[in-house]
Amino acid sequence: MGRKKQKQKVAQPPELPPDVPEDEVEVSDEDLEFVNKNQDYAGLVSRLDTQSITRHVNRVADAKQNDRSGDVKEDALESRYEKQLRKKSLATENVQHEVDAVDALPVKTLDGEVYYRSGNFLKICFLIGVIKSLTLKIFLMIFFCLVSKGPNQSKNGHIEDEIVGENEDVGRDNGVVKLTKAEKRVKQKKLRKEAKKQGKEVPEVEEVQQSSQAEVLAEVEEDLTVEEANAKKKYRLAEIGTSMLTDPEGNIKSLKEMLQICKDGDHDILILGLKSLLAVFKDIIPGNRIRLPTEKELAMVVSKDVKKTRFYESTLLTVYKAYLQKLMSLEKVFSFKRVAIRCICTLLEANPCFNFRDSLLKAVIKDISSPDDVTRKLCCNTIKSLFANEGKHGGEVTVEAVKLIAGLVKDHDCHLHPDSVEVFLSLSFDEDLRKPEAAKQDTKKIKKKFYKTGRRNMEIASEKKKNKQETLSKTREEVKADYMAASFAQDFDEKRRIQSDTLSSVFETYFRILKHTLQSGSEANESVTGPFGEHPLLAPCLNGIGKFSHLIDMDYMADLMKYLRKLAGGSTDDKTPSDSFSSHLTVTERLRCCIVAFKVMRNNLDALNVDLQDFFIQLYNLILEYRSGRDQGEILAEALKIMLCDDRQHDMQRAAAFIKRLASFSLCFGAAESMAALVTLKHLLQKNVKCRDLLENDSGGGSLSGSIAKYQPYASDPNLSGAFATVLWELSILSKHYHPSVATMASGISNLANANNQVFLANVSPQQAFIDMSLDKEKFTVKTAQKQSNSKRKRGSRPPLPLAAAGGADEVAVVDENVVRTKLSEHFSLVNEMEENEKLRRELDRTKLELQLHRQYKKQKKLKKQRTM
Amino acid sequence: MRPLDESETTQVFEKLFKFTGNNLKNIVESPSHEGPDQTPGRYCFRLHKNRVYYVSESLVKRATNIKRENLVALGTNIGKFTKSGKFHLTIQALNLLAANTKHKVWLKPTSEMSFLYGNDVVKGGLGRITDNINAYDGVVVFSMTDVPLGFGIAAKSTQDCRKMDPNGLVVIRQADTGEYLRNQEDL
Repeated sequence: MGRKKQKQKVAQPPELPPDVPEDEVEVSDEDLEFVNKNQDYAGLVSRLDTQSITRHVNRVADAKQNDRSGDVKEDALESRYEKQLRKKSLATENVQHEVDAVDALPVKTLDGEVYYRSGNFLKICFLIGVIKSLTLKIFLMIFFCLVSKGPNQSKNGHIEDEIVGENEDVGRDNGVVKLTKAEKRVKQKKLRKEAKKQGKEVPEVEEVQQSSQAEVLAEVEEDLTVEEANAKKKYRLAEIGTSMLTDPEGNIKSLKEMLQICKDGDHDILILGLKSLLAVFKDIIPGNRIRLPTEKELAMVVSKDVKKTRFYESTLLTVYKAYLQKLMSLEKVFSFKRVAIRCICTLLEANPCFNFRDSLLKAVIKDISSPDDVTRKLCCNTIKSLFANEGKHGGEVTVEAVKLIAGLVKDHDCHLHPDSVEVFLSLSFDEDLRKPEAAKQDTKKIKKKFYKTGRRNMEIASEKKKNKQETLSKTREEVKADYMAASFAQDFDEKRRIQSDTLSSVFETYFRILKHTLQSGSEANESVTGPFGEHPLLAPCLNGIGKFSHLIDMDYMADLMKYLRKLAGGSTDDKTPSDSFSSHLTVTERLRCCIVAFKVMRNNLDALNVDLQDFFIQLYNLILEYRSGRDQGEILAEALKIMLCDDRQHDMQRAAAFIKRLASFSLCFGAAESMAALVTLKHLLQKNVKCRDLLENDSGGGSLSGSIAKYQPYASDPNLSGAFATVLWELSILSKHYHPSVATMASGISNLANANNQVFLANVSPQQAFIDMSLDKEKFTVKTAQKQSNSKRKRGSRPPLPLAAAGGADEVAVVDENVVRTKLSEHFSLVNEMEENEKLRRELDRTKLELQLHRQYKKQKKLKKQRTM
Repeated sequence: MRPLDESETTQVFEKLFKFTGNNLKNIVESPSHEGPDQTPGRYCFRLHKNRVYYVSESLVKRATNIKRENLVALGTNIGKFTKSGKFHLTIQALNLLAANTKHKVWLKPTSEMSFLYGNDVVKGGLGRITDNINAYDGVVVFSMTDVPLGFGIAAKSTQDCRKMDPNGLVVIRQADTGEYLRNQEDL
């Protein structure tokens, strides 16, 4: 507050200027008329902010009065403005002493302090006013234009010129507004240069205030409005940032200043500060951990360079720490959360080896399942890139992250967003590490030997020059080489250890999820559904198991398969609990379980060909439960492909049962599903020659049908359905399918029996067929006009396709719609024309008739006349 | 010819259950279309001269007309009680088991012959195996073309089979179709 007093001392109250009598300005009748006439345009004049305008106008008038009294030329006003501009930009000190007579009125600042307007202050106020209210300025200009008409006719000829001058001024200010950024930067730079000349940095100036210059500077700074200050801070940030990047070692001190700016700035400045600090840190942080010197080391005498480096490192570290603390505290504030998270993520991603990475990692993992999409995506992407770029940090961060995620899953009882476990999919494991490294050990030994012998030779050669120092250095080298070799070996072991740790954590998580799903299932339906659905983690967990199945230990395999079997809904021993349980998972999830089981089996299928009968039974039943809107057709197609097409052999009975079921299935669903089913069916028929008996006309498979004499469509076990006792009558219906390609496919299949036994294996997989057809369907159904609304509804409830495909399909649909629209409009316009034509023709006929009648009438009249004559 | 008593029934069903699991229900409840009756009858188990037969009810009725000494066999013979009172399944039960079994093993064509000569199944001869077999479950042995060849007892669970060496026993033979040639007089 002392400063303010000081300032008031400096800014002496100026003498009051002579008032302008208000009645000097006369409004002519013409003007009134004009305004009344053009109410629309001039209406705004009445709505103007009269106060501000009168202030400006008064000022102008005052200035004019002043000038006139001083016998100065008219341009003086302009030149004075220019001078003031220059002065302000240079921030010279004597501005303050030059008090305008104009500013007689005191002004209230935001603080509530009452000042006399000094020239400088006024100018700044004016500038900001202009910047802030462009619209107001436009109003002013219009007002001035209107006014300039008036005084022209009144005797006061001077006013016009002045107003023109004012207009010019406004125009110049306009220019300033347009240039703001560039100009302001220049200004800031000048300001800073000035400050540097004085040998003080801006914030420090406030504290020192010894010279009068400094005082004035401080005053100027005080006078700057908030925005001005903010802008200044922005440029300061930019400047420090650039200087940091050009010479980090030299300018390390200014990091603190940046942090300071972050601390006291408002919302925008804070965000900017955080971001610029982030950019700086991202660039200057080294790729290794910084260890602060111990006290003992500090006590030692060191060279200048070392001191410098130490200082650099310690400053970097302290500022980094403070920055992180700031980020962590801001992360809890809602409005800053995203920025803080973004900063944390970028830092972690850029420098996974630097100090404090643990806290960074913790912060990132904490938000990995945040309900906010942006935050979650950021965190997930960071973790993914950490996993992907393992070379950067040697895998240590991976282990930590995986362990943290495992802990998170444990703590939240598996109720997290799916993304949080999906990140595991981007993990990569080095296969070679699992192999025994005996061979490598040998090469290392050889190398070591080689080194030693080579050195010995050299020793012999340089025997003469040998002295104590040399032996010392040599032993040191030897030790070093040994250490290197040892450390390398350790590195290898370390890698193995890291990898196995990661794997065990990952699988621990996966198994925890599976177990949790299973338990919540067996505990009946009371389990609370979280914000992410009932079993949010199951899908990514299954995907992960599918991907890493080749890394699972054989010992876990049995348990895993058991869990999967239970999840898929079929347990061999106890039927009743499994039935109640299977209702828990959706069909899609259960299909996924089957798929994963097959993937796991196939990846470990080196020695033994295991037949997953239970999963086939599940699939057989799931096909019936499938609903095209509710469940994902993609998954079904994948299951068909993996389980039925890719498997090498099948039981005949089972194959026949599946063929029959797929045929009935393809009758009741859309074109895409039936196509996928038909492709599978064809594949099965081609592989199992005996199953082609189903295509024959007479039912009853004879000896093949086994003990079951009659087809049982509701049997839950494919082996007991007795499918051989029936025929594939569905195909003949399907050959009349509304979709041409399904129809052709069906008729192709029914002709398979006549073809020779040569096997043409279909190249198309059910998945591919499904995708193709679901694209096709969009086109197809849209084209048939009467089904348009129907197809739209279908599209809405359709399972999500791969993005590109869906996008493409939509485009096609849109195009088609357009085509349809244009065609319809053409059609209707044609119909309209025809109707109009008809109407015209009818009118024409009528008039013709009238004319005829008229003529007849005339004729008769003539005849009558003649008769009368 | 008489129905099985309680202890005999449990013995027979336990043996069958080893092979068929829950499908045992199908064996007991499946309808029979034999005979002129319109309503399908059921199958039942009958003991005759220490042998157990799986017979349709209509056939049982008709068989009562024949003197016990003169009746050689009826229905399908599925096993016999030994002198010590234990129940053994015989090869004639193969069709019944194959239709209802839970656990299957498929043999490679090269090892079919060895099995049909009465040898056990080793891992090397294994073409395919059902998942989820536990040790000492009943297993039906098939050729790769799904022809049932015989049955036996699993020596190891499916999981353990993975880790075994190729000469390890997978299925201990109980009966194979080769017996029709080898033991003609006993059957």
